[in-house]
Amino acid sequence: MRILLCALLGMGLFIPSVHARPVSYPGGWTLMLMNNGDVNNTHVHYSPTAKTSVGYKFEYWRDKDFTLNAVQMNNLLKRWNERDSQANLYIKSGLGVAHGNVGSDAGDIVGETSAAGFTGIAADWENRRFFTSYENRYTEAGEIDDFYQQSARVGWAPYEGDYGDLHTWLMLQVDHSPESKDNFTVTPLVRLFKDVHLLEAGMNNRGEVLFNYVFRY
Amino acid sequence: MEKLTLLLTALILTFAMPAYANHDGNDHAAHAESGETTHAEVPTAPGDAHVSVNGLVCDFCARALEKVFGKEEAVKAIDVNLDTKIITVNFNDSQTLSDERIKELITDAGYNVEEIHRVE
Repeated sequence: MRILLCALLGMGLFIPSVHARPVSYPGGWTLMLMNNGDVNNTHVHYSPTAKTSVGYKFEYWRDKDFTLNAVQMNNLLKRWNERDSQANLYIKSGLGVAHGNVGSDAGDIVGETSAAGFTGIAADWENRRFFTSYENRYTEAGEIDDFYQQSARVGWAPYEGDYGDLHTWLMLQVDHSPESKDNFTVTPLVRLFKDVHLLEAGMNNRGEVLFNYVFRY
Repeated sequence: MEKLTLLLTALILTFAMPAYANHDGNDHAAHAESGETTHAEVPTAPGDAHVSVNGLVCDFCARALEKVFGKEEAVKAIDVNLDTKIITVNFNDSQTLSDERIKELITDAGYNVEEIHRVE
């Protein structure tokens, strides 16, 4: 598994940029704040070219009770531009350090520090009315934890907004964490998007709040 | 579940409905009155370009093109129409960009050019 992880990380971090597309536009900065029942994370990235983005990722896994600081690189492996739709295939990977939190309930990881990495594939398809996406991720944090997750989304826009309008999406997200007791969660959410701001809010079937905010400039 | 219903209802009513009510047919007029331009009323001059683009499905796409063209000295303004998938590029007096440069900018931003028409 470690060999596989290294190989995937290598693909994500060192794939020649000439073969990929950017996550954002050239010269664009993006701030992402993501919060759900499992994790709070902050990701800031910059797209130096039209083909890739690189940035810093902080994650706090509440139940697992550890934090992760990493350098993350995202590569757009393939984009399909059609007249009325677009599809994308990405690889997202990070390398950094994980810390078991002081005061943790998981006593054996208190104060533990370990090299950590993660990688995963993300794909999406959308037109102005419908949206669907899938992503997965494997995380390796040495003695602290290792786990696999995947999630999928479908979305529907009740109206087609013009450029500059408020864009609204109603979405349903399904998360699968094989190692968890309740390994499936379902989260209905609303996505609101205007100008450089994107906001998502929802609540899953366990009553846990999802709140995401993205600022792109 | 009650909290969830309340949350979703509040968000939809607060944000989505006003946007929906304002959208059909009225936003272009509102832009024009405020002095902004949209594709339907975009004033053009000879040499300006209408570019049909594949992959224009969201505001982020439109904003990416606006940012990329905004860095070009020759470009006076750009209008993006998500309905027609056409961007209109206005150039400063006696300045222009070649079709090849326009294609390069759009391709580098992650989209494909279908065709380019110059205003005569």
